[in-house]
Amino acid sequence: MAQTINTRVTRTDARRKVTGAATYAADEIPAGMLHGALACSSIAVGTVTSINTSVAEAEPGVVAVYTHETLPDYKTVKGFYAGGPGSASFWPMEGTEIRYAGQPVAYVVAETAAAARRGADLVEVSYEEGESRIHMTPDDSFVVGAGEDSDGMILDQGDLQAGLDSAAQSVDMTFTTPFQHHNPMEMFAATAEWRGDRLTVWMPSQSVRTLRAGIAGAYGLPETSVRVISSFVGGAFGSKAGITPYTMLTIAAAKGVGAPVRLIVTRPQMYTVATFRPESEQKFRLGADAEGRLTAFEHIETAQTSQFDMVVNAGTHITRAMYACPNIRTEQRLSRSDTNTGGFMRAPNEMQTFWGLESAMDELAWKLEMDPVELRRVNDAREHPTEGVPFSSRSLMESYDAVAQSFGWADRGREVGSMTDGDWLVGYGCATATYPTNILASNARVRMQASGNAYIALAAHDVGTGTYTIMAQVAAARLGVPVEAVDVVMGEASFPVAPISGGSTTAASAGSAVHDGCMKIAQQVATRVSAMSEGPLSGVDPAQVTLDDGTLRGPNGQSQSLAEALSMLPEGEVEVIGEFRHPALTNELVAATFKGGYGTAGPVTPDFAMFAFGAEMAEVHIHRYTHEIRVPRLHGAFAAGTWLNRKTAHSQLLGGMVWGIGSALHEVTETDSARSRFLNANIAEYLIPVNADIREVRVEMLEEQDDYVNPLGVKGIGELGIVGTAAAIGNAVYHATGTRLTSLPIRMSDLVST
Amino acid sequence: MRSFSYSSPGQIGDASDAARESGAQIIAGGTTMVDLMKIGVIAPDALVDINGLSDLEGYAVAGDRMRFGALAKMSTVADDPAVIDAFPALSESLWKAASPQLRNVATLGGNILQRTRCPYFRDTAYAQCNKRNPGSGCAALEGGETNLHAILGGSSACVAMYPGDFAQALIAFDAEVVVSGAGGERTIPFSQLHVQPGDSPEVETVLEPGEIVTEIVLPVVPAMANSTYLKARDRESYAFASASAAVGVAMDGDTVSDVRIALGGVASVPWRATDAEDSLRGQPLTEETAREAGRIAFETAEELEGSAYKIALGADVVAGALMQVKSRMGGE
Ligand SMILES: Cc1cc2nc3c(=O)[nH]c(=O)nc-3n(C[C@H](O)[C@H](O)[C@H](O)COP(=O)(O)OP(=O)(O)OC[C@H]3O[C@@H](n4cnc5c(N)ncnc54)[C@H](O)[C@@H]3O)c2cc1C
Ligand code: SF4
Repeated sequence: MAQTINTRVTRTDARRKVTGAATYAADEIPAGMLHGALACSSIAVGTVTSINTSVAEAEPGVVAVYTHETLPDYKTVKGFYAGGPGSASFWPMEGTEIRYAGQPVAYVVAETAAAARRGADLVEVSYEEGESRIHMTPDDSFVVGAGEDSDGMILDQGDLQAGLDSAAQSVDMTFTTPFQHHNPMEMFAATAEWRGDRLTVWMPSQSVRTLRAGIAGAYGLPETSVRVISSFVGGAFGSKAGITPYTMLTIAAAKGVGAPVRLIVTRPQMYTVATFRPESEQKFRLGADAEGRLTAFEHIETAQTSQFDMVVNAGTHITRAMYACPNIRTEQRLSRSDTNTGGFMRAPNEMQTFWGLESAMDELAWKLEMDPVELRRVNDAREHPTEGVPFSSRSLMESYDAVAQSFGWADRGREVGSMTDGDWLVGYGCATATYPTNILASNARVRMQASGNAYIALAAHDVGTGTYTIMAQVAAARLGVPVEAVDVVMGEASFPVAPISGGSTTAASAGSAVHDGCMKIAQQVATRVSAMSEGPLSGVDPAQVTLDDGTLRGPNGQSQSLAEALSMLPEGEVEVIGEFRHPALTNELVAATFKGGYGTAGPVTPDFAMFAFGAEMAEVHIHRYTHEIRVPRLHGAFAAGTWLNRKTAHSQLLGGMVWGIGSALHEVTETDSARSRFLNANIAEYLIPVNADIREVRVEMLEEQDDYVNPLGVKGIGELGIVGTAAAIGNAVYHATGTRLTSLPIRMSDLVST
Repeated sequence: MRSFSYSSPGQIGDASDAARESGAQIIAGGTTMVDLMKIGVIAPDALVDINGLSDLEGYAVAGDRMRFGALAKMSTVADDPAVIDAFPALSESLWKAASPQLRNVATLGGNILQRTRCPYFRDTAYAQCNKRNPGSGCAALEGGETNLHAILGGSSACVAMYPGDFAQALIAFDAEVVVSGAGGERTIPFSQLHVQPGDSPEVETVLEPGEIVTEIVLPVVPAMANSTYLKARDRESYAFASASAAVGVAMDGDTVSDVRIALGGVASVPWRATDAEDSLRGQPLTEETAREAGRIAFETAEELEGSAYKIALGADVVAGALMQVKSRMGGE
């Protein structure tokens, strides 16, 4: 049998995707469907004093115009950061209160999408406007859960001041990162169809179980009466994780008009009706002795949050795991402003915090007159610096050594500004990448038939990463069948539970459930055939039978292929539920996942700290006259346990690094401070790299064995590639120019001498 | 988008008549027009599609005057080896604009008449915008973001920036536009086509209702062959200029005999930097004189908070463009 794991396998759904056969949520058109459109507030804070819907209602094609006063049977759920499934705790259209710009104020249903949008434009809303502020003010911030229940939000270990006092060199720097939006290619959309008390919702989702549990709970329906379908997702990056108002509004509107309704949110509205990456400030104080060994490490992160939620994606919990240091102090702070609630966006804290940490480390290296790679080496921790447990595996320096080799790090000029290429200043920079390994409970239905075909069903999602393919590969490897013989269905809440597609958990956790299912099939088949009077495994102790690439092997060299053994059963097939329950998963965590929540264990368990690591190196060119900043080369080396699919994993890492270039040089949600609005809410003005910005991006995937994280030895990689890229680029800018930039994105305006 | 009627006249007279009706708008490639209709900034009652006027698609660069039909496509002209050879700045100003998809449908006539990218103009949720809604105020100047705005030629009513690239190549080389309307045909110097915002930013050009641009004409001068368009932008492609310069130089021995400098990304209208040109004429072209020309080009610039960096950036870009032309000439 051909090797199916740790090899390059083309996506099984590639043809379906490029031919349009793959159906995304908004492609489903139930009979009699009407179209929804949102009208959103132009003010950020205040109250609605009146809404005139008569003009909109008179528009040809418009069927209904709902406001907070007229929308029937509209239900809401608790916000994620209050322990619920919702994207935010505050729900629009429950009353007259406006708490962020672009908040839905009316919902129009019409016979065509164009009529619905025209209707939405014609809704006349009067407001009484209040004071608002879109940006956080770090001076007005607070520690999350300070006091008794601080959950590590403040950590003080050793004596920071003593560490700073004794340092040969130290840095004290403050970095900032802006608001950013996910901008998935596939628009937010929801289609709702009621049939009596049964409801079907099609929606691009990173967690169909969360959606189903939340919606069923809100309407007091049994979960079995609610279908949630999300077969393909055109990019999510965290934006399609929770239950958003546009979904619940669509469900209510469909009930109101008595017909299925589909809403496709417009691109500008996508900036306000769901989550985003909150802006942040990262303060670092680092001290080191003359050899570069850290004597002091302080990180205070202040992140923006809404007035009604506390968005805690604790970045300090990750940064303090990086480097060995006796004196560590971290603090996790929030500052409120008038926006909708932010959330997760690819590497939800690591992008921001590693921009700060890795820039500060670089500055420290320059002060110590030390190779920045060597600074990481002398501080490479074998044990988690604050948790006192070893890393289950940690290949940080292997990554640095590999990338330094491929990049040619040794050839760099040792002085600032020492390299040029025609009219371009040249600089090299490096940075550490990491991502925590999170563990979630998962099930998977696995069926194998004597024909050699297998079937897998689970409520996981393919958000564009290749999950369909990976699940098939895991089964194919265990069952000894070709990948094409494994049929995988996902993205429906009625399938066996699988984790939310977030925190880079799906391949590791859901994949491990598929693995377990295959092992269970082998066990069941072995039990049955060993009890038979004939056959190669007759009479063998089934407990001693192992599964090896689709072959059942007895203790004394007896063997039979699984397919053959299955043909001896009258059913000709066996179906099981595979389960992944890592020992670190407590009953509470398992229960949370089954209720549609995020019951994650890790990255620190009582026994180990689990992280994937990598290192990135960037070459930056800065034009002498235009000050344009370009990245002709970006190399990365990564180690993340077993590579299930070297092709899709490569794509994830490459895509992360490309996004990293964007986070460094392009991406920012601009704001209008006077009126507290996002300003560039479209993808013409919200810059992301274009093809011409991406030159040589090289990804090296190192071998690493980790038997602790899960039976497959897999760590999550969906977010790893973006972490550290911005710092590698910023550090290269410093090398080229001697200018240390501390705010993302880095733009040519920062490099013009004024 | 509101409902509208649509016509596609085959004769210029009919097109002009239709476009003169109140509520009518001309559409060529549609990349500005449809965009603004979709976001509700323009809601015409009637669209007059001029793509049927196939006479306007041609262009010619031979002879002592270059002529470009208003319906010639950006990509066609940009990629023409004869244009690249005779007038590199013009080709570069076109191919460094927008994206290949846009350039394949966008026309030269539509290009010069593209509208500002001021985010407040483009978002009807903002009540204040004198250009969109005369007399309503200016959200940009009233506490707004001014990083995409004009530091030259703005007014207290509007600091919208003219975003186009091609226009800089035209204004630098004394282009004229031929227009056809109710009163017949007339020729307008390109430098007089656009008007600065002053007190009435809603008026952007001197075109009369129904007047159609038919042709762009340029007198051929030696500096055209030694010209370039340098565009500083935040990404390698598909971004508007943060600052740009169209320049052309002719030398008489070691001194500059003719020089053209126009600035993009910084002004309310296409902008010719005549003082900067004057400073160079009769001088040698060196890094020093080039930088001095750049400085002079921005001497009258306003300090606008979000765009303050453009004074230094723009000066550097002018210097860079001049040095690029110099090194190209040297290389011949
Ligand atoms: C995402 C994006 C990025 C862009 N980036 C750039 C850039 O980097 N640089 C740049 O220079 N441009 C850029 N553009 C603008 C683009 O170049 C223009 O939209 C295009 O050139 C307009 O040409 P058109 O034929 O499509 O015009 P239309 O959209 O058809 O018309 C534009 C305007 O001109 C009027 N009009 C058109 N033809 C005539 C005529 N013959 N006589 C009288 N009036 C006429 C129309 O009524 C309308 O007001 C960008 C556009 C987009 C959407
Ligand atoms: S700068 Fe001009 S276009 Fe922009 S908001 Fe002000 S008036 Fe409107």
